[in-house]
Amino acid sequence: MTMNDMRMESRVQNAVNKIEARKVQVYYGENHAIKDVDVVIPDKAVTAFIGPSGCGKSTFLRCLNRMNDTISVCRVEGLIQLDGENIYDKRVDPVQLRAKVGMVFQKPNPFPKSIYDNVAYGPRIHGLSRTKAELDEIVESSLRKAALWNEVKDRLHAPGTGLSGGQQQRLCIARAIATSPEVLLMDEPCSALDPIATAQVEELIDELRSAFSVVIVTHSMQQAARVSQHTAFFHLGHLVEYGETGQIFTNPQDPRTESYITGRIG
Amino acid sequence: MANEHILRAFDRDLEAVQAMIMRMGGLVETALAEAGRALETRDEVLADQVRAGDAAIDALEELVNAECARLIALRAPMGPDLRMVLSVMKIASNLERCGDYAKNLAKRTKILADLAPLPEAAGSLKRMSKQVSLLLKDALDAFIARDAGLAAEVRLRDHEVDQMYNAIFRELLTHMLEDSRKITPAMQLHFIAKNIERVGDHATTIAEQVIYMTTGQLPGDARPKVDAVLGSGGQA
Repeated sequence: MTMNDMRMESRVQNAVNKIEARKVQVYYGENHAIKDVDVVIPDKAVTAFIGPSGCGKSTFLRCLNRMNDTISVCRVEGLIQLDGENIYDKRVDPVQLRAKVGMVFQKPNPFPKSIYDNVAYGPRIHGLSRTKAELDEIVESSLRKAALWNEVKDRLHAPGTGLSGGQQQRLCIARAIATSPEVLLMDEPCSALDPIATAQVEELIDELRSAFSVVIVTHSMQQAARVSQHTAFFHLGHLVEYGETGQIFTNPQDPRTESYITGRIG
Repeated sequence: MANEHILRAFDRDLEAVQAMIMRMGGLVETALAEAGRALETRDEVLADQVRAGDAAIDALEELVNAECARLIALRAPMGPDLRMVLSVMKIASNLERCGDYAKNLAKRTKILADLAPLPEAAGSLKRMSKQVSLLLKDALDAFIARDAGLAAEVRLRDHEVDQMYNAIFRELLTHMLEDSRKITPAMQLHFIAKNIERVGDHATTIAEQVIYMTTGQLPGDARPKVDAVLGSGGQA
């Protein structure tokens, strides 16, 4: 066995592509925010989007579950396919799409409801359970997957807003996975958390990738390096470089990526 | 690409470890040159100085390793910065070995000083030593100039040193077969030749690290090898 074979073996193999984007353009009114982005996001892996503020990484992330539809001046062109289906097709219901493509935001934003109701909300509105027992089961398994169950099982009916920041963020992750999504989008999920809570969420992300395709936007390059298998570098609306995370951080091919990851441009 | 980090202290740290490598390189070059001169002139005082000087090289290696560990912990270097830190640690360890060879040369000089000289072999050794010193100098120049081209050239030139070593090996073998009284000095000279040849190998490794540092890839192709004992290609 050669050295290269050994390296390939240790790497996560992802034959299945979950999302394919081709020639994506996004305009906010006159402003051309995303330019010609082509990207293939694998299933059962974590893909990180990095880049300086205003580079378009969050905008692009929000295209993947049509969150930009809620902004009236925003216009999306090009093709984005989820499992080979165009998500911008007229027949696609964005609400159904968002049940399949869940999202977690920068600031933990639990509903002003109980822990239980926060997680049960999605399954209820999507009619995913027929009985109370079924709903209980979804809530428990989602909280378990979000590594929060043991901390909240005795106070499921306490308000979600009473949890610590890190717990609130894991509650939001539990809420996002309660509708059994296939893709989980995370927009800076740890930037409001302390290092311990960050480590817990990162550990959770690593576990989640066995079941989901995870896409994470992060300002922390260390975080991208820790949790992702693939990394995409955005700059001024362009996808500059996309590759295996180890390669991006040890041997970036584009000088702009190199400048950014080594801390030479802002 | 902008050459300076936004955080200027990072640049200062990177420059500091590079300066340590250059200082180490300078000490090793001097040690090798002086060990060669002590051998040639049978200067035991100089040989003692070379032996004593090795401690400074060892101390610098420790300093480089400590500084690199600190850089990794505090600055989390990425991309070419990370490659530089990794290469610097390897280069320091190679230079430290070269220092040991210079020390060994000085040690054998003291033994040889009491034995009858072998003038022809000494001439060949001097030529090889000169060639190896040049190789090491060019490898270090390639490091400081980030010159992968020069490093690739150093890598190929080590072949000439190997050939010179093989010639010396045969020459010494002839002496030993001709006159058994020459076995002791010839064996000592052979060890010296082997040590100098090893310095050439370390210069080659340094050159390879320079290639990795600048391009992100280690050269994959095999270099031509000739071994006097095992024959061509190193096959037994």
